[in-house]
Amino acid sequence: MSNYKRLHPITAISNFLKELKQLIAPIIIFFFIGRGDHKESIWEYSSMFFMVLMILIVLITGIVKWRRFTYRLEEGELRIEYGLLVKKKRYIPFERIQSLDLSEGILHRPFGLVKVKIETAGSNMTEAEAELTAIKKSEADEIQRIISEAKKSSPKIETNDAPIDFEQSDTIIYQISKKEMFIMASTSGGAGVIVSALLAFFSQFNEMIPYEKIFKELSHLVESGVFLIIFLIVLLLLAAWIGSILVTLIKYNGFTTKQNDGNLIITRGLLERRQTTIPLHRIQAVRITENPLRQLWGYASVYIESAGGSVADKESMNVVLIPIVKKSKIPSILDGTLTGYNFNTSFHKAPGRAKNRYMIREILKVFPVSAGLAIAFWPFGLISIILLGFFAVYGHLRFRSAGWSIEQEQLSLRFRGLLKHTIFMKKNRIQSMMVKQSWFQRKLQLASIFSTVKSSGSGKTSKVFHLDLLDVEKIYQWYRQ
Amino acid sequence: MEIREPQKRISKLALKVWKITGILHSILVWMACAAAMFLVSLFNWSTWFTSIALIIALFYSVLFIFIIPKLRWKRWKYEVREQEIELQHGVFIIKRTLVPMIRVQHVDTVQGPLLRNYDLATITISTAATVHHIPAIDMIEADRLRHSISALARVDEDDV
Repeated sequence: MSNYKRLHPITAISNFLKELKQLIAPIIIFFFIGRGDHKESIWEYSSMFFMVLMILIVLITGIVKWRRFTYRLEEGELRIEYGLLVKKKRYIPFERIQSLDLSEGILHRPFGLVKVKIETAGSNMTEAEAELTAIKKSEADEIQRIISEAKKSSPKIETNDAPIDFEQSDTIIYQISKKEMFIMASTSGGAGVIVSALLAFFSQFNEMIPYEKIFKELSHLVESGVFLIIFLIVLLLLAAWIGSILVTLIKYNGFTTKQNDGNLIITRGLLERRQTTIPLHRIQAVRITENPLRQLWGYASVYIESAGGSVADKESMNVVLIPIVKKSKIPSILDGTLTGYNFNTSFHKAPGRAKNRYMIREILKVFPVSAGLAIAFWPFGLISIILLGFFAVYGHLRFRSAGWSIEQEQLSLRFRGLLKHTIFMKKNRIQSMMVKQSWFQRKLQLASIFSTVKSSGSGKTSKVFHLDLLDVEKIYQWYRQ
Repeated sequence: MEIREPQKRISKLALKVWKITGILHSILVWMACAAAMFLVSLFNWSTWFTSIALIIALFYSVLFIFIIPKLRWKRWKYEVREQEIELQHGVFIIKRTLVPMIRVQHVDTVQGPLLRNYDLATITISTAATVHHIPAIDMIEADRLRHSISALARVDEDDV
C-alpha cells in the first residue's frame, strides 16, 4: 500500500455541494438582481451569466481538489498531499494517530464508502488532523488494520497471529435495547424542555380559564379563533417533541460499545453510521450524567473525557460511552472494561450549614430579574416572586447533589447544574486542583473545590461548592501526596 | 485555611506596577466622567448625572489605586517545591491552586513595558489542560524559576 491513492470520485460531488452551500446567498442575490422591468437590458443576462460561471468554477474546483488529494501509507506514516493552488503535504506517523473515526453519510451508503477522520493528540487543534472524505470500506478497514498492527509491533515483540487475535477480542460492552431507545428519545434534552413547556402551558390553562364558561361559550371561542390558536400551539409542541424523538432515534440507532484490544469502539447511527475508536489509556475521567427526567426513572448516561480529539468537533468532545442505561447497572457493565475505577463508591455530602449558601446563591441570581419584573409590571409583576421560590428549590437540589469521595487513587465528585454529574478521576490524570474560599465561606468553615482534567484540546473542570473545609483540605492533601 | 500556606511573596515592586496600572485606568475613567459632564452641561440634563459620574470615578480611583493593589499583594503567595507548585491569591475570594510538577508542560515568562521598567516578569505555567500565572516577580527569580520548573517538569507521555 505504498502507491498514491485517490478518494472515491464522489468526493468531487460532495466538495462541489459543500462549496455551493456557501454560495447560496450570493446566488440568490444574483438571481434577484436584474429582475428589473427592462427585460431587454444586458444586466438581465449578465447576472445569469455570473451565476452559471460561479457554479462552474465551484464545480471545477471541486473536481480539481479531488484530483489533487492523494494519500498513501508509507514508511510507517500516513502521507496526505493536497491543495488547490498551494500543494500541501501532511505526514502523520502511525504512532501519533490516536483514533480513526469512520462514518457513513447518505451519499456514502449506496457505494459502500466511509469517511475516515484521523485524530491525533495535538494540543491546540481546531480541526481533525486529517480527513479522508470518501474511501472504500474495505480500504478503511485495511488502513485501520495496518495502523493498529504497526502501533502494536513498534515497541513490543511482534506476533504473527496478531490480526486474528484482534478480530477475536471484540467484546460487546453495551448495546442499546428497544426499550432504552424509546426512553432515551422521549426524555432527551429537547423533549424535556418541550414536555415541561407543555405541562406549564396546561397548568396555566387550567387555572386561567374557567371551564364552565368555556363550555357555554365554546362556539363563540371557536369563532374568535382562540381555541384554534391553542390547538395549533399544542400541535406545534407535539410536532417538535416527535421531531426531537426522531432525531434521537436516527442518531443513536443501533448504539453499540465494544471493547477491542485496549480500544473502545462505539458505533451508532441510522442514516449516517459513525464509528469512533478511543484507546483506553487515553481516558482521563469517567462521567455519569442524569437529566432530571431520566433521574426520575433511574436512568443515566455515561460519558468519558478523552485526551484525543479536536476542539471543534463536538462529537469527539463528549464521548458517549453508554447513552442510556439503568444507573444501578453501570458498575457491573463497566467493571470489566474500565478497570481500576470504582463506580460503587459512597459519597460524603456537603454539611447542613452549606444549605443556605446554596439557596441564597441561586436566589441572588434571579433576584434582579424578579425585582425588574415586579417594578416594570407593578403590581402583577410581583407574581415573579414565585421565581425566587423555584430557584430556592433548585439551590436545595444542588445542595443535596453535592458530594465527594476518595478511595485510594480515585477522586469522585458529584454536583448538579441542571443535570446531575458524577465524575470519577484518577489522581494521576488530574491536571491541577484549586480550593476557593470566599468571605462568607470562611465564616462558615466551608470551601469549594475545583479539579481539572484534560479533555480533548482543553480542560474540563469539575466544581463542587460549599463543602466542609476539613473535607476540602482532605482532598487537597490527598492530591498533594 | 489550615493547610500550610505557600511562603514566598511576589516582588514588592508589583505593588507599584499595579498602582500605575490603576492610575492609567483611572485616567480613562475620569476622561469618561469629563465627557459625561460635558454632555450634561450641553443638553441641560439633571445634575444628578454629574454627581453619579463623579462618585463612580472617585470610587474607582480609590479602589484600584490604593485598596486593591495592597490587598492583592498581601494575598499573593507562591511556592515552587520539588514535586509541586502551589499558588494562593484572590482579594475577596481566596484561591489555592496545586499543580504537580509532572503535569507541567512548559513555562513562559512575559514582560510588558511596565514590568520591564521594574525588572519584573509574569510567569505562565501551562499543563495539558490549564494555565496558571504568577504575576510580577523579580526577573532573576523568574529566570531561576523557569529553569528549575522546566528541569523538574517531565511529561509522562502516557498520562498526558
